[in-house]
Amino acid sequence: MASQRLELISSHLTAQPTASSNVTRIGAKSPDDIVIVSALRTPIIRARKGPFKDTLPEELLAAVLKATIEKTGIKPELVQDIAVGNVLPPGGGASAARMAALYAGFPESTAINTVNRQCSSGLQATVQIVTAIQTGLIDIGIGAGVESMTTNYGAAALGNTSEKIASANQAAADCLLPMGITSENVAADFGITRDKQDTFSARSHHLASAAQKAGLFNAEIIPVTTTVLDKDGKEVTVTVDKDDGIREGVTSQSLSKLKPAFSATGTTTAGNASQVSDGAAAVLLMKRATAERLGLPIQGKYITSAVVGVPPKIMGVGPAYAIPIALAKANIKVSDVDIFEINEAFASQAVYCVEKLGIDINKVNPKGGAIALGHPLGATGARQIATLLTELKRQNKRVGVTSMCIGSGMGMAAVFERE
Amino acid sequence: MFVKFRTEGYNGYDLQWSPFFESKLAVATSANFGLVGNGRLFILNAGGPAGIDVERVYDTQDGLFDITWSEVNENQLVTANGDGSIKLWDATLADFPIQNWHEHTREVFSVHWNLVNKDTFVSGSWDHSIKLWNPQHPRSIQTYKEHGHCVYSTQWSPHTGTIFASASGDHLVKIWDTKAPRSVQTLRAHANEILSLDWNKYADNTIVTGSVDHTIKVWDLRRPDREVICLRGHEYAVRKVKCSPHQGNIVASAGYDMSVRVWDVAAPGEMKMVELHDLHTEFVFGVDFNLYVEGQLATCAWDEMVHVFVPPALMPGRR
Repeated sequence: MASQRLELISSHLTAQPTASSNVTRIGAKSPDDIVIVSALRTPIIRARKGPFKDTLPEELLAAVLKATIEKTGIKPELVQDIAVGNVLPPGGGASAARMAALYAGFPESTAINTVNRQCSSGLQATVQIVTAIQTGLIDIGIGAGVESMTTNYGAAALGNTSEKIASANQAAADCLLPMGITSENVAADFGITRDKQDTFSARSHHLASAAQKAGLFNAEIIPVTTTVLDKDGKEVTVTVDKDDGIREGVTSQSLSKLKPAFSATGTTTAGNASQVSDGAAAVLLMKRATAERLGLPIQGKYITSAVVGVPPKIMGVGPAYAIPIALAKANIKVSDVDIFEINEAFASQAVYCVEKLGIDINKVNPKGGAIALGHPLGATGARQIATLLTELKRQNKRVGVTSMCIGSGMGMAAVFERE
Repeated sequence: MFVKFRTEGYNGYDLQWSPFFESKLAVATSANFGLVGNGRLFILNAGGPAGIDVERVYDTQDGLFDITWSEVNENQLVTANGDGSIKLWDATLADFPIQNWHEHTREVFSVHWNLVNKDTFVSGSWDHSIKLWNPQHPRSIQTYKEHGHCVYSTQWSPHTGTIFASASGDHLVKIWDTKAPRSVQTLRAHANEILSLDWNKYADNTIVTGSVDHTIKVWDLRRPDREVICLRGHEYAVRKVKCSPHQGNIVASAGYDMSVRVWDVAAPGEMKMVELHDLHTEFVFGVDFNLYVEGQLATCAWDEMVHVFVPPALMPGRR
């Protein structure tokens, strides 16, 4: 009895204050938790080849925003702000995003902005909205992401940069390295063999293919009806409801036959890098108290996130640095995480991060990743949240992490708890 | 005036000023920090010329964790005992309790006499249950089992005789109406255990909670989705919160950071704390406002000391 009393009193002393920090606790529900009411995405479609080849990014964004309203039943006028991650559009895609929100059914009073933190933009947009709700600036918001690499991918998206800076500072110059070269650098610096990369890539296709066949993406994908110009230039209406980059039957042997894409002596190929794709995703966020008051479902809650810089010439190592920071903030260990969604920008860097952190490979991208699904740059960060929460639910698991490397040398990671 | 009394060999768990006598104070204490061993009930008179005098001392087989004076009989009071029992004492009689109820299966941590319907009192226990009692009845009248963790506090509404509130380690506050078998309202009040609550005497929908998360929150029960104010300052768990019987905007708190704090929830700006009493040298578990002497506080702590004082900020005319 004495020991029970001592234990109880001790527990009163060891508790950390939750009020003075924004770290929401895993396993403890609070009305101030920022919860995810819905996380949805369009199918991810091969750029320039797939059925989104004649669809503009704002049309993809509008589709996923409209579906968010329809699927949750939320009154659009209650959404006060939307942040949209996108990377490539000229002018930051700002006006196009505003058009998309208005077209999707949001009133003029609903604000919107776009954000560009390269490949983490969709996550950055989500974290921006989370932070705005936590600090009381808004009550309800959407973190989203979109990219039409069909429309905007190419050298023009990069623009011109200062030669004065690049010639004076090597790390700054490294920011201009093609992403494929940074992948070669990671593979060479850390000895990630071609075979390891191809094996990992075949696994991605294999898992994605099995997941697609089993219908595991159905809960996160919203069908998109759009028009495509057929080979005679005739407009055809199509409804797209499946990712089209997944190749069933790809093996490490078949991948091993591909030529290196960036360096004759390199190991990075079109088969062990992420695909160039079009897609969009959106995450509806609010406090638990708000969701309960409105009678909206709660898919999970945001715990915390972290972003950190790494050397630009090996930018792919980002998750290996961001994930430990996020886990430390959440006060958990790698082994406490049930599922990791780590973006497969390149197999080289994904394999490096998994090995470096000692993550059980069976917990990594259980439905495949960007090598099979594609990587619409601005959308990926929001897309991973949709993919993560549905899989945590299916496996009846709780704690998930999303993470990605970021061009110009950064990593970002976020921790979520499914409910 | 600042007077002190030593509850030698016994660590203070709770105290309450008499509702009938201006300077009478009852203190519930436990030996060995309440972990194991006896309890002792002190009835003190804080009005004497030499400071605090002892009127009565009663010893019990297990620690005492909470205390409440009868609202009907000026000599009677009820204690919450570590062995799961609840005892009714009469200060005109020596040695033994006049009634002993033993239904809770673990430590009883709270007792509170109904302030309006003065024939009942309520208890909360580490067995997760709440029980409603009438001192004339040999058994409890009602048992409420909804909380999923220890019940640390049970407090009657000062406005409605059938309504009380409970605070629990399950992070919830529940509002009960004795006319209904189930709780009538649930607040997810904190992200950690809630150790204490009290009702505002001047606003009948306002309660105050204190939590292991170091914060005190003021709630309007008509708007339960979020607190009205969150008071930060305690550096460890908040053990006790009390609303002033004289001013609707004043709250006192005591905690594991060994401090007693006084808050003015109506103060403009961020700084709501108006007083910090840091003369205790161990956890402070008990704090109560004297009903007759405006601004006067009594506190008890694990340092075996009872302090009676008027914080400068609560001197009449100061606020």
